[in-house]
Amino acid sequence: MSIEEQVIENAKNGKLLTHKCTGCGFLHLSTAYFCRKCGSKGFEDVLLEGVGEVATYTIITVPPAGFEKYTPYAFVVLKLNNSDLRISGFMGGITTPADLPVGTPAKITGFDERGIVIEKQ
Amino acid sequence: MTFVEKVCVLGAGSTKYGKLADSIADITTQASVSAIESAGISPKDIKASYISNVFGVADKQVHIGPVLMSRLGIPDKPSLTIESACGSGSVSFREAYANVAAGFYDCLLVTGVEKVTHTGTEWTTTYFAYCSDFFYEAQAGASFPGLFASMARAYMTEFNTTEEDFARVAVKNHDNGVLNPKAHMQKKITVDDVLNSAVVASPLKLFDCCPFSDGASSVILCSEKFAKEHGGDYVEVIGSGRGGSSAALQGRDHMTTIPSTKLAAADAYKMAGITAKDVDFAEVHDCFTIAEVVDTEDLGFFEKGQGVQAVREGRTALNSDISINPSGGLKSKGHPIGATGVGQVVEVYDQLTGNAGERTVKDAKIGLTHNFGATGASCAVHVFQSV
Repeated sequence: MSIEEQVIENAKNGKLLTHKCTGCGFLHLSTAYFCRKCGSKGFEDVLLEGVGEVATYTIITVPPAGFEKYTPYAFVVLKLNNSDLRISGFMGGITTPADLPVGTPAKITGFDERGIVIEKQ
Repeated sequence: MTFVEKVCVLGAGSTKYGKLADSIADITTQASVSAIESAGISPKDIKASYISNVFGVADKQVHIGPVLMSRLGIPDKPSLTIESACGSGSVSFREAYANVAAGFYDCLLVTGVEKVTHTGTEWTTTYFAYCSDFFYEAQAGASFPGLFASMARAYMTEFNTTEEDFARVAVKNHDNGVLNPKAHMQKKITVDDVLNSAVVASPLKLFDCCPFSDGASSVILCSEKFAKEHGGDYVEVIGSGRGGSSAALQGRDHMTTIPSTKLAAADAYKMAGITAKDVDFAEVHDCFTIAEVVDTEDLGFFEKGQGVQAVREGRTALNSDISINPSGGLKSKGHPIGATGVGQVVEVYDQLTGNAGERTVKDAKIGLTHNFGATGASCAVHVFQSV
């Protein structure tokens, strides 16, 4: 499986595949091939729970092609618990900012034609 | 670094920005001819061209460089087409700059162009989204307004600011754009107009967003020796900087600053031997109102978190503390994405050679251009000085 396919398969199980640098320990999303801190190529796979809180988001009302039927929806940046990593994804059912205060607990719940899917916890 | 030559902008020209009927090849040529005529040179003086363009395929013309050179009567001269999303123009300018500074060429044509409005809002939105980190962003439904809206919400959360604060940026840039006959949106607007316009991607409304525009801009870049031999007005490029940022917004240490801007500005200021305080006016990348606020902080004009206060106090208006986007910026002048970075240089050339009409920044000696691609994943900053 390619790296992206591995991310997708894990997201379907609510997990986030990450790469921990064997040189300095810095944690990256698994699409990293070299460490941004020390330049090392050695990584170990670390599977995180796709659970965190909403760092920021938008509610999209003018969508790109393919997303008309989901509009309005939120594009969310999720800050993972117990890590500095963030991951972006799609969140349905959000129509006003009152629906999603920054800091709302949320989790990865899948992957489909909407990319990584995130839902409120 | 050692440079062989001082580099100058000898001529500049743009088409009007907006919804244009002419083809991409036509508008590319029109802007290039106006720059050549502005410089008072012959096309045969041009040694090569650097063309910035992102979505030529949308108007059925990629590899536009040789088409332009053929129309200019110099089909034997080399050309290079450069794509760096919305930052293509400044990145192309930088590559041309480096080649003149190194002494490879003494006279280059730098032209940027975009022709997309005929594809309609849905497809322009879709094509532009492909400039993001697709796997993480566009694939999950992110649009460019959406990505900058995410930045805006992070900024509002961190610095306790309001949508009205962003609206003031749009009002200010439209005030300037009214004075620019080439601007796409030559129309005054109010804060209420912005706040009452349709939501595109919360918290950004239609008037927080630059328009989709067609247009082309062109400059002649040459050595100082060439400029002096050929007469005419010219301005000197005294600083050039580049920087990069994590492609996806999620990968930035802070989502309210754009690292590539800070890196490019530091390089450009160092080369020019100046600080942010020495800049008289700046054309900055205000694709969305939030972007201008972040830019003016990252460029060092204001402390982080103080950008909105500066706008509230009118300190970025034309002929105030520092004139930001005297052309109207991307917001009002328009944003033909491959042309924008070159168009900023056209504005600086017009300002520093006394051809900016009613929007002239008084007594300006040093102008800056700042242009980035995507959410600032690539960036170039240039500093210019009148001679």
